[in-house]
Amino acid sequence: MAYIELKNVSFSYPEANQPAIHNLSLQVEKGQFIVLFGASGSGKSTLLRLLKKEIMPHGELSGEILLDGVSIENQTVNTGFVFQDPENQVVADNVLHEMVFGLENIGLSTNEMRSRVAEMVHYFDAENLLNRDTHELSGGMKQQINLASVLLMQPDILLLDEPTAQLDPVSAREFLNMLVHLNEEFGMTIILAEHRLEEIFLLADSIVLMDKGEVKVQGETRQVLENLWKNPPFNKYVPSIPSLYLSLGGKEKLPLSVKEGRSWTQTVEIAKKDRTRLTEITEELLNAQNIYFQYQKDDGYILKELNLSIRKGDFYALLGGNGSGKSTLLKLLAGVLKPERGKLIFKGKQLKAWKNKNLAAEIGYLPQNPKLFFIQDTVEKEIQDTTEQWGLKNEHEVAPLLEKLGINHLRHNNPYDLSGGELQKAALACLLLRKPEILLLDEPTKGLDPLSKDNLADILCKLNCEGVSILMSTHDVEFAARYASKCGMMFQGSITSESEPDAFFSGNFFYTTMVQRLFRSRPDEQIVTLEEAVELCRLRR
Amino acid sequence: MKSRFEEFHPLVSFIFFVLALSLFILMIHPVFLLLGLIFILMINITYRSVEQLRQWAAFMIISSLFIFLLNPLFNERGRHVLFMFHQHRITAESLIYGGMSALSLVIIMAMFVSYNKIMTPNKLLYLFSKILPQFAVLLMLTLRFIPLMKRRLDEISSIQLSKGISVLHGALNKRVKTGLLYVQVLLTYSLEEAIQTADSMKARGYGTRVRSSYEYFKFKKRDGLALVYLLLLYLLILWGRFNGFGHLTVYPIMESWQLGTGDIRIMLFYCLFLGFPLLIELGGYIRWHILN
Repeated sequence: MAYIELKNVSFSYPEANQPAIHNLSLQVEKGQFIVLFGASGSGKSTLLRLLKKEIMPHGELSGEILLDGVSIENQTVNTGFVFQDPENQVVADNVLHEMVFGLENIGLSTNEMRSRVAEMVHYFDAENLLNRDTHELSGGMKQQINLASVLLMQPDILLLDEPTAQLDPVSAREFLNMLVHLNEEFGMTIILAEHRLEEIFLLADSIVLMDKGEVKVQGETRQVLENLWKNPPFNKYVPSIPSLYLSLGGKEKLPLSVKEGRSWTQTVEIAKKDRTRLTEITEELLNAQNIYFQYQKDDGYILKELNLSIRKGDFYALLGGNGSGKSTLLKLLAGVLKPERGKLIFKGKQLKAWKNKNLAAEIGYLPQNPKLFFIQDTVEKEIQDTTEQWGLKNEHEVAPLLEKLGINHLRHNNPYDLSGGELQKAALACLLLRKPEILLLDEPTKGLDPLSKDNLADILCKLNCEGVSILMSTHDVEFAARYASKCGMMFQGSITSESEPDAFFSGNFFYTTMVQRLFRSRPDEQIVTLEEAVELCRLRR
Repeated sequence: MKSRFEEFHPLVSFIFFVLALSLFILMIHPVFLLLGLIFILMINITYRSVEQLRQWAAFMIISSLFIFLLNPLFNERGRHVLFMFHQHRITAESLIYGGMSALSLVIIMAMFVSYNKIMTPNKLLYLFSKILPQFAVLLMLTLRFIPLMKRRLDEISSIQLSKGISVLHGALNKRVKTGLLYVQVLLTYSLEEAIQTADSMKARGYGTRVRSSYEYFKFKKRDGLALVYLLLLYLLILWGRFNGFGHLTVYPIMESWQLGTGDIRIMLFYCLFLGFPLLIELGGYIRWHILN
């Protein structure tokens, strides 16, 4: 008998046309590490929530869910749940309060709380955070505190719903490593839903692809990946190293990690790449010179000595840790914050000399949280509002634009009912109507599944070809490597390094792609993206 | 470095401030009030809250001036008529009474500045969680929510500004309309996000059992001694007050402001009470220098 067992489970939300979970059966053994993946809306979150009685969604449930042989309704197994958004699951204003919140709820005595907290704080190395306010912490730290707070309740099963979606590569890696430790050292059963798959597949005992509320493929990582490879469009989920191996027609044991991949790349022939690139120097569009910025007088500078230049037609990707100042920089460039010192020049004229309205027409800013972009209660009304505000006459362009973005059917929906990807596209539609010269995108790839990400990339590349310059901040290294024409690294409030993707990523250790890590041992080669690798590599016969 | 008074159990600091507040309301006498003002200023200096005090200064001065001037305008009682103002008697009594009320108000406001510095939300929360555990959770959520809403509103206005919508430009009715839309967005958004917070609370067992509360502070012997000291002095002062000491009767007949022996005795207790934090710091200072 499996530890967690779902038998023919179906679940539909009230007033939904289709069930969110359809006739799903799944077995998880005690101490297993399971990864759920699949497009957004495929039922991952619903499935996770069904496993925790307290937050089970309302709706119609049929079938049987057994935890440790007991049905879910009268469950006593202690389950912990970590949510996607680091901010919203925080309850208290202070880290210590946050940590003991759950313990207080189950009525522990202060003494027991003290010893549990002491141990956990030590394990997480968070002593210096204890007396801090929660809102001062970076996303990565917050998510670790959330995990700590759940672990303090000593769960037997840990459920995590895309916990690293909002974290930078380094914090995400740290967080995932912590999960591996928990799984290996304490035998905790872990079920993780995740979009960021490059690293996570290595860690799992078993991976589960979900599609439209059903389990599509399930099993040991290598088998599943080989299976996916043969079934487009699901081959998009295969991470780059196995992807490369499979596209070159490798027949042996599938390499998953960089370590496994490296020994295999020794047997690969790499053609020389013609790296002479035609780069025409275009006119400068946006220029930041020696920018200083701080939110409050004594808080210290968020940006300092920052210089940046965006030329017409650039597709610039800004990388860097949580809290390194990327979002602040984008806001400054969009003209909604004013620098304390330094000059911002847009089209040869100082940014502050521009009228707000004219500036908004030229610069399209997509915030990290597109929900706050919408001021009206349907997408349609928001679009109307935009056309009225700008006196636009191009109403005939609205429908084709929405069609192009693939959101025409969502016109009459409330923005809050859209998924993350849809919401972003809807906001993008409103921006594009005003035909801006430059788009400033704040983490547009956040929380997108591989398919929506490809879709977004197509849209952005098309716009870029049409002459729109793009500056985006992102945590998604693979995305930046593949599509950007220039990459910059933010650190301590300024851009510390900047170059074309090839050169940029071959210098980095953490902020680099899996493929680049794979070919790092061959220093003469600057292979960064999967496409490049597929093009250049040939198996030796 | 944390001062010694701040390291007392929150109950001690809380009782001190509550009792001091009642004293500033009860002991309406020019000499007592002046002494009170001096003590409160010294406490503010000791606990490094002069900067915050300065931020409040304008408000304190304006509101006390307001009271000082309004009392004579609405109150004609008293024997010593200074002058007539539009057939309205301005009496010395009403001026003095207004002045004392104004001073008392200034002291109370200055006291709250140092109260805020010493009684951190954490301490207050701890005190409340002992008596009203459910209320404490509510308070904790509120403490997080108010700054959170402020940050969200800032976020909304900056995002809307990037769309060319702003409450700072344009016709008044349009600006009001935009402002209301902001609030609407803020509320819908916050409600949406609060669902997640509620889930996270439920997922951590909120509402399943009777809540216990984590004790951040231990009640030590010296906390007990401090409480006894404060309460004893307070009772003595209160006893004196009800026997007519330490209070200047203004209406119907104004007393002389000079202090009798009874008054002076009460004044001594009054000083010992208000000077408690200062004495504690002084004691700590002396002990530190003798030991080293």
